[in-house]
Amino acid sequence: MSQKKEYAVIVVGAGHAGCEAALAAARLGAETLLITMNISTVALMPCNPSIGGPGKGHLVREIGALGGEMPRCIDETCVQMKWLNTSKGPAVRSRRAQADKYLYRQRMLQTLFATPNLTLRQGHVTGLLVESGRIKGVKLETGLVFACEKLILTSGTYLNSRIILGRATWPGGPQNQSPAIGLSDSLSAAGVRLRRLQTATPPRILKSSVDINMMTELPGDIDAGGFLWENRLRRYEKQIPCYLTFTDERSVEAVRRNLSESPLVLENITDDGPKHCPSIDRKIIKFPDMVKHQVFVEPEGWDSQELYLQGLTTGMPPSAQQDIVGSVAGLENAVILRYGYAIEYDALAPGQIRKTMESRVIEGFYTAGQLNGTSGYEEAAGQGLIAGINAVLALKKQAPYWPSRTRSYLGVLVDDLSTWEKPEPYRITPGHAEFRLTLRDDSAERRLAADGFRIGLVDPERFSTIFAWSARIEGEIARLSTLSLLPSGEARERLARLATGDLKKPASGAELLQRPGVTYNDVMDLLQQPENTRLSAVDEVYALETEIKYRGYADREAEKIVQTSFLERIRLPLEISDHRLNLLSEQSRQILSSCRFDDLSQMVRKHCLTRSEIAILLSVLSEDGDSQERHEETR
Amino acid sequence: MSKPKIGTIAAVSTPAGRSAISLIRISGPDTFKILKKLFITGGKKAFPLPYSVYFGSVIEPETGLVADKCLVTTFTAPRSYTGEDLAEVSTHGNPLVVSRVLQLLLKHGAVAAEAGEFTRRAFLNGKMDLLEVEAVSQLLSANTSSQARLALNQLDGLPSQFVAKIRGQILHHLVQLEASLNFPEDAIEAIDEHLLARELKKILAELEIFARNARSGALVADGLKIALLGRPNSGKSSLMNYMLGRDRAIVTEIAGTTRDTLEETLMVGEYPVRIIDTAGMRKPGDRIEAIGIERTTKAADEAFALIGVFDGSQPLTAEDRLVLERLRQSGKPVITVLNKSDMPRQVSPEDFAELPPLSVSALKGQGLLALQTSISKLIAESGLSGYEEMILLGAQQSVALDKALAALERAARGIGNIYQDMLAIDLEEAVRELGRVNGETVDVNTLDLIFERFCIGK
Repeated sequence: MSQKKEYAVIVVGAGHAGCEAALAAARLGAETLLITMNISTVALMPCNPSIGGPGKGHLVREIGALGGEMPRCIDETCVQMKWLNTSKGPAVRSRRAQADKYLYRQRMLQTLFATPNLTLRQGHVTGLLVESGRIKGVKLETGLVFACEKLILTSGTYLNSRIILGRATWPGGPQNQSPAIGLSDSLSAAGVRLRRLQTATPPRILKSSVDINMMTELPGDIDAGGFLWENRLRRYEKQIPCYLTFTDERSVEAVRRNLSESPLVLENITDDGPKHCPSIDRKIIKFPDMVKHQVFVEPEGWDSQELYLQGLTTGMPPSAQQDIVGSVAGLENAVILRYGYAIEYDALAPGQIRKTMESRVIEGFYTAGQLNGTSGYEEAAGQGLIAGINAVLALKKQAPYWPSRTRSYLGVLVDDLSTWEKPEPYRITPGHAEFRLTLRDDSAERRLAADGFRIGLVDPERFSTIFAWSARIEGEIARLSTLSLLPSGEARERLARLATGDLKKPASGAELLQRPGVTYNDVMDLLQQPENTRLSAVDEVYALETEIKYRGYADREAEKIVQTSFLERIRLPLEISDHRLNLLSEQSRQILSSCRFDDLSQMVRKHCLTRSEIAILLSVLSEDGDSQERHEETR
Repeated sequence: MSKPKIGTIAAVSTPAGRSAISLIRISGPDTFKILKKLFITGGKKAFPLPYSVYFGSVIEPETGLVADKCLVTTFTAPRSYTGEDLAEVSTHGNPLVVSRVLQLLLKHGAVAAEAGEFTRRAFLNGKMDLLEVEAVSQLLSANTSSQARLALNQLDGLPSQFVAKIRGQILHHLVQLEASLNFPEDAIEAIDEHLLARELKKILAELEIFARNARSGALVADGLKIALLGRPNSGKSSLMNYMLGRDRAIVTEIAGTTRDTLEETLMVGEYPVRIIDTAGMRKPGDRIEAIGIERTTKAADEAFALIGVFDGSQPLTAEDRLVLERLRQSGKPVITVLNKSDMPRQVSPEDFAELPPLSVSALKGQGLLALQTSISKLIAESGLSGYEEMILLGAQQSVALDKALAALERAARGIGNIYQDMLAIDLEEAVRELGRVNGETVDVNTLDLIFERFCIGK
């Protein structure tokens, strides 16, 4: 059989972005080719063995709600599942899983093979085919050419990558993989601007060489449930722990002793790296008075003999690494199996991607993951999903999917990325989400499952099950507002028994539930509602209680949400014909009619408009706001 | 959703009353479109050229009748006071003429400017910063020398520095809180809620003093309202005339918010006081009187202090006792005056109990000094901040300060009862609103600050 040479969608790179992109495109019916440099390392986790955490875990939940793969894969292959921030409030509460890196890869690979419309191929892409600003296909090292309508490039940290270990440096990809050479030149030739970024990973050590008695054991939570909605009540009976130890004076001394060999001091690497995971050398330089730094010792899998040293990231040479690792309590005799290293790679310079992950430079060309200047598996997967969805929507000549930042962390991610200007890579945290009280972990499906269904990644059966579940919650929330408690003597006695405040005038069920310490079942008891009329599932009760207890706070977000979504719907570039817009500055008018931003909300957030300019624009635009909205609906 | 509209605004810019000339200002995109309809130049120069002065007539387009002969000065955006197209029309100073010209402008597309709107537009168009705006707008409206003094105080930046300091303190706690919410495993010291509650209460107390000073500033900038209450014919009006009579020069008539209450401004000591004469208080006889009494009630509610006026020459009537009862229940500083002290007194001081009356004769001019002393004493004891502490805030700044206070109160009260993620929302609101008070910045970029302060690395 001769090899097929044309695909609707080609995805280059099979990391976390590439896998989601390829799966989404194929599942939406597009003939998809996924090209990876090494089929053995599909869905590789070259750095930490974990998925989730505040912000990141929210993304994983949302990927699941939209019909992506990451949550399903990690739920099945994790060695530990943990709730974080449980005491600090529902908005920042999040799961974090420790992965079995090997099982995760295996499972993802099986899924790729089992997906119709998806072809997996090993190969090294060295060039893009671009004609009059449109993507046409890719060229491989072997000379093979594949044509496509849409291309999604997810080159991770491989593009023109260079490994740095102290003074030693050589071209190379993560975990001894080959670098992707040649593609950068092709991108530049097509007008795409690149920059260098760096990141680093810690050494891996032999499990049997560690003294865990010197460390604190960190177990998981049996009832944390999985990321995927279907797994929300899953119990993880069998888990393995992580361990926590700390650096001390010896470690600081070891780092200082070897500092002359640090890439930071040698300056043989770009300084632009992730702020949130500094190397141990950087920590010692930046916080000279701090002696006690955390070192999390994490398993890499059920049967893996390797342990990951979260906190000891470094690109210092092997001798220094041995010195530093040996200085930490419990790691005195640790045997290093793989040395840590720093890696420098090509990424896109800011300002070249849209919220759809499509390039502003080449039509039909999408990028996702670390190439876009993010860090993290979850961020990569989220972008891959959005890129895959939009590539297919564009193929079908349908309106693009622009998740709103008022509705999801995915929306925050793509919105921030398309306007990100800082030198360091982007990592999602709740701090980026101004509407985080609304974007809670427990509300992911209620926010996004309908989008997933409309797009076609959530099948009708799954959607109707989720819909019935969310209708039960919404229905009960509504019912709570209609039920009321009258201040009768008996009711007040029941209230007193609950040790909550007295009642002077009738109160609705919702009002009672808003009282501190009062639970849904307390309210149902107060209202004398029979057991069989109540919600009983733990997750449903939790969602309801959270929704109502948060209401006062979430309502304060509501006005801002309406305003932001209004501004988001005004897409740029804007046709400027109204003479009143001459009241805007020359600069503002230029930006409005350029392709720098996707919509007006971005321009406002980036302070490219003064307050009076916003007022002028709103007054002009609201006059033809009706036609704008009609336009929206027909898209 | 509110969609602000940029219209063209017009207002009389010179003080009300008769003068040689009056100035009407028009600003906004339709300034010249409107003037072209209403203004006919005498000379040959094309109208409107930028930055030119024209002599001509304002006419009523429908009839061709001349409303006034006047001078029009043109300014074009962005080089004008407001940064918009702007014109100044100098009319003759007759209030009737001024009002007619203004009415014509309003009829043909301009809207009446709200107080301070020209200056606000200047700010919106980047012509001034926020504190300058407040200082300028207060200087323009200052009608007593001490109000001008207060306005000048604003420019030295001390209130700004104080707000920045408070904002910094709250931000410090917010950054700590956000760090622990965003990076739960980064060994960031857990929030000690008791300690934080204590800190927040301390900050709250400081901010409350600031707010009190701002309220005092607002009161003084506005003039301290003192309402005269009494039954009809108790001598309120004659008392008012008598109080004003000593120093007519500083008296200015201010158009009342309601047509039936009369207001006059005078100086008592160094404070501007607005004496408000109200409709007599009694059981309403008809509907119109009922409305008048309702307005009296409103004036009394809004007043800073009340002066009860009684006719000393007659025994107290039921209506007088009603007034006394109102005074007692008002919760405001109160002075009682027995007018007509030139006639034999028919009232026993016991009737006034804890409100001992001053004897005054408006007719004979007796007791004014005592009354002024009482008012001075009342102001001094009212808890009003001293001049050196007073702060002037504009309307938006006051709203922002109130929001910041409310958010901080919620946070201080909520600790322990609400989740920390909600607490962070309150603290962020306080920081953001305080940024608005001194026009500093509205953005609260906690993430960058977290990385500066904490070693994040998990």
